[in-house]
Amino acid sequence: MISRVLVPMDGSEMSEHALEYALEAYPTAEITVLRVVGEPSPLWGEASGLALAEDFEEAAQDLAAPTFERAHELVADAEGDADLETVIELGHPVRAIINRADDYDTVVVGSHGGTVADNLYVGNVAKKVVHQSPVPVVVVR
Amino acid sequence: MVETVLLVGVIASIFVGFNIGGSSTGIAWGPAVGAGLLGKATAAALMTFFVFLGGWTVGRNVMDTLSGDIIAIEISLAAGVAVLFFIGLGILIANVFGVPVPTSMTTVGAIAGLGLATGTLNFETIGWIVSWWIVTPILALWIGATVGRYIYPELNRRFEISSSEGPLLGLDRSGSVPKPALGPNTTYQELGGTITVLVIGCYMAFSAGASNVPNAVAPLVSSGALEVNTAIIVATVAIGLGGFTIARRTMESVGSELSDIPLLAALVVMITASTITTALSWAGIPISLVMASVMTIVGLGWGRATRPVTAREAVRGDVDREMTMGALKAEPDAPITPIGEEESDEALSAENLFNPRAIMKYVSMWIIGPSMSTLLAYGFFIAVPFV
Repeated sequence: MISRVLVPMDGSEMSEHALEYALEAYPTAEITVLRVVGEPSPLWGEASGLALAEDFEEAAQDLAAPTFERAHELVADAEGDADLETVIELGHPVRAIINRADDYDTVVVGSHGGTVADNLYVGNVAKKVVHQSPVPVVVVR
Repeated sequence: MVETVLLVGVIASIFVGFNIGGSSTGIAWGPAVGAGLLGKATAAALMTFFVFLGGWTVGRNVMDTLSGDIIAIEISLAAGVAVLFFIGLGILIANVFGVPVPTSMTTVGAIAGLGLATGTLNFETIGWIVSWWIVTPILALWIGATVGRYIYPELNRRFEISSSEGPLLGLDRSGSVPKPALGPNTTYQELGGTITVLVIGCYMAFSAGASNVPNAVAPLVSSGALEVNTAIIVATVAIGLGGFTIARRTMESVGSELSDIPLLAALVVMITASTITTALSWAGIPISLVMASVMTIVGLGWGRATRPVTAREAVRGDVDREMTMGALKAEPDAPITPIGEEESDEALSAENLFNPRAIMKYVSMWIIGPSMSTLLAYGFFIAVPFV
């Protein structure tokens, strides 16, 4: 019985599909949406911007807010009574997902989110999560 | 025949310069344009002028290194054109995949490849250049970290750069002769801030010219096919062309990423990177402006993230630490968590933002790029020894 599901979202359409799938496949589960902000990028703008923000927790929440809003919309669209929790992490997405995965029964990820450049900086997140996760991973295409 | 080869070479130079114009205009003017302080066309015009100035003065030293010091023989016209194609290839890869391939390093790599193939590589010069390539990112990181940790909070407290509604300057028509005056919402502080941003942008454009103008033309200067002054003008025109066209896009993409960091921090980055780049160019060392910029950004963020005080204290600056500590204890809302937000189990740690492995992976791209260009050029000049 899957009761706790982790859905990492990066604002991409693919990650929205992951949440839609999780809502459909585990209608009674407690779903946690994880948004990682400040990930490595060509100029390290977001990461440094967060570090330099007067209140980085607030800044991180601002960055994550659109993703969470979208997630709540998707939950509403699914017309389920799914419980949605939201969590923010900083830095490298793979590391953040793996660190949290232990507390969940399964992780549902989109197959890919970013561009070639993103792939270079952080690698294929889904692939790495599949390899390193301590719990079963569902990759949504 | 020679004319045709030279023409191909100049076209390759213009391609390289055009792309340099696109990327370096984005870095030099992205923050200012993003902050709405000036338009893209004005930025491109300023860029062109200061690139020329940088190339004409300090850039000559780098030109000497690239065209004469790395290899013992002069680069023949045909070989120069081939080298330019390798530089162009690096730029193409950078554009297509969005990876920063430092042009200065690709250029040195390609020329070194030619030197290896012909057994004329000046190992002393290349060792000297490469050792600066190792020192520079460390230096930039260290400066960034020091500023981020000890100076930035205080700077942040003192300077506020803002852009108000309406034009910055207007005309005061109250007298008989209209004279310039501050715009409707402009404060003197804003005017000062704006001027600072513009001056620093020009400085960065100058350093971009000093370090990048030679990349586009040095391979053609070596054989004397192109005279130095003509070459600098050709490169400037090409960079300007890129500044007025493709930089519109890079100013947005680079600008939007740079605008993730506060404008004040961007200015610190620009001053540091420009100073390092100008100084090394003065010494004749080809160096990447982007490399110095990125490492300063990482340094700033990392220095700040690893401060041994909390963000709340940092807001107040750490000059009067004792006093601030006292005041903090009395402050009832110091460690607040916004109500209604689901918080993670443990507090977020800003240190996670700068994972050493992620940084190493990033730095490795600077090693792979020039190495590839050296290998490719070496293979090419071995296979095609006519040059």
